[in-house]
Amino acid sequence: MKFKIGYFYPEQLNLYGDNGNVEILVYRAKKRGIDVEVALVDLGTNLEENRFNLVFMGGGPDSSQKEVYEDLLKDKGPYLKDYINSGGFGLYICGAYQLLGKYYKSADGSILEGLGVFDLYTEHFGNKKPRCIGNVVCELSDEFRHKEVFNSLNKIGSTLVGFENHGGRTYLGEKMLPLGKVITGYGNNSEDGYEGVLYKNSIGTYLHGPVLSKNPHLADYLIAGSLGLDRLESLDDSLILSAHIASKKLRQ
Amino acid sequence: MTTLVENLIVIISKLIKFISNTFNLGSGYTWPGHVALLVNPNFLKSRRIRFKKGVVLVSGTNGKTTTTKLITHLLEKSGYTVSHNKSGANLLNGIASSIILDFPAFGDLNRDFGVFEVDEGALPLVLSNLKASAVVLLNLSRDQLDRYGEVDIISEKWTKSLLSLNPAPTLIVDGDKDYFNSISQAFKGDTIAFGDSVDYLSRTKLHGLFNASNVNAAVSVVRFFGLKEGDFVSNLDSFEFAYGRGEVIKHGGKEFRVLLAKNPASFEHNLDLLLSEEASEYNLFFALNDKIPDGRDVSWIYDISAEKLREACASKVVYVSGTRYLDMAVRLSYAGVNISKENIFENLQHAVKEITLHGVSEKVICLPNYSSMLELRKILTGKKIL
Repeated sequence: MKFKIGYFYPEQLNLYGDNGNVEILVYRAKKRGIDVEVALVDLGTNLEENRFNLVFMGGGPDSSQKEVYEDLLKDKGPYLKDYINSGGFGLYICGAYQLLGKYYKSADGSILEGLGVFDLYTEHFGNKKPRCIGNVVCELSDEFRHKEVFNSLNKIGSTLVGFENHGGRTYLGEKMLPLGKVITGYGNNSEDGYEGVLYKNSIGTYLHGPVLSKNPHLADYLIAGSLGLDRLESLDDSLILSAHIASKKLRQ
Repeated sequence: MTTLVENLIVIISKLIKFISNTFNLGSGYTWPGHVALLVNPNFLKSRRIRFKKGVVLVSGTNGKTTTTKLITHLLEKSGYTVSHNKSGANLLNGIASSIILDFPAFGDLNRDFGVFEVDEGALPLVLSNLKASAVVLLNLSRDQLDRYGEVDIISEKWTKSLLSLNPAPTLIVDGDKDYFNSISQAFKGDTIAFGDSVDYLSRTKLHGLFNASNVNAAVSVVRFFGLKEGDFVSNLDSFEFAYGRGEVIKHGGKEFRVLLAKNPASFEHNLDLLLSEEASEYNLFFALNDKIPDGRDVSWIYDISAEKLREACASKVVYVSGTRYLDMAVRLSYAGVNISKENIFENLQHAVKEITLHGVSEKVICLPNYSSMLELRKILTGKKIL
């Protein structure tokens, strides 16, 4: 069995230590004796022969996001859309989360089309609304908590902790499930109290930290789920559990 | 603003500085500048502030404090008088404060040079307030994204502000940093490039390639100000580390070497330095805070190479503290570093006590970020900065 992670645009989309998520997935899989391969997917990569267990994509500075935008939409887009719609596991953070939605509306009114695989859109209100920056605590949605794989692995509870830093505000379509409900923080848009999106086996979220660093239940869910395992050997996560609990008390 | 009010601010500031020095409270405060700018937003343009031979502003993500300290050292050794924001308070109010404290009790400020380090985000504002003859750009890398935003944004702001200056100052930039090309090319004034040759570095106590660039930047500045090779080279060896930037502090029978590690680049510079030195016996002490001057997001610790962390910590006893000590401990363990739970401390003072009492090595290498470095120095020296 091999755990193959497709790490999209590692050079361009590499903000906020989110690459740590890949490091953490590799670490936790290897601890279970699972063979891991990280495939770096870049502008020139041909995806035809690739079969990933998990796709990871983060956010980048505006200039880099523009650089990958065309490649993502025209070249990698159809592949990724099919991958996600057919139930492929994936973690999409911040800019990547936004790009998988229908569109991104800038403060000047201009619209950037997204991949449209998630039924959501993002709007930036310029100076009219503050940037969403700070520590976040959220409660995982019922749908997520009731997933069998998640339940068999989860030893940490039903919260996620992280740090958010985004100017755009994201609004989910009616049928889209959020990843969680915000307890502390702004979340998707600071209005409806939701954070992230859960679509089939894909997760979109604004959480940095990196998100998997103090949410080992989410990391293990992604590893087990993407490999079709219903359980994983447990690791000594006591330090991480302490960090998770301490993060719940951080001020926003 | 009336001269009367200015004089009052100067006198009150001096009085408070005297009191705080007497009682060991330190002098890194910024309120005199804050008040002066509140009363007179053009305070720094006042004709009562005179730098006869010029002002240099030094900005960049890492190396500002060391570089300005070295420039000041070389100029003073050549007999010039210098005003320098040595406490590291590098926003407009910090620079104003340091200038106020240099005022004589009565009269105007007359110095040969002004040497100021400037926060990356504050450079445009400072440039529009202080007439600089030279501006040094050291480097630019990710630091406190929650406060500054992305590197591109800073770079754009710098370019815009530098191009608007008339007359243009001389730009002194690291020629090895490709990302400065667009600024240098657009800039209309004179440009001097420096590199990372270690010729001058080897004459100082400083170590590491990143310090080679800092030393060469300082040398370029003093040359620009007219110092001859023979005037400054012999003074390189008497330069002492800037606080928290390589200095060694003796405490409780141990030697604490404090290496400021406040962002991925400075963290990795220091790890490279440790890995390049002949391996010696030492304990390692990491301290991570999330206070306002540090940036409240600590995600950046995952931008530090796991491999370098693992190598630097191999067979060392590792201690961890700071307000985000658990985050640091988790990061280290994901990098494959062995951490004993007995060696992680929420309280910095407890950590220092434990290391002093039970640390196995004589030497302790400390890698704190900004505010934890200030707190650590206070514990080790018993006083605040400077």
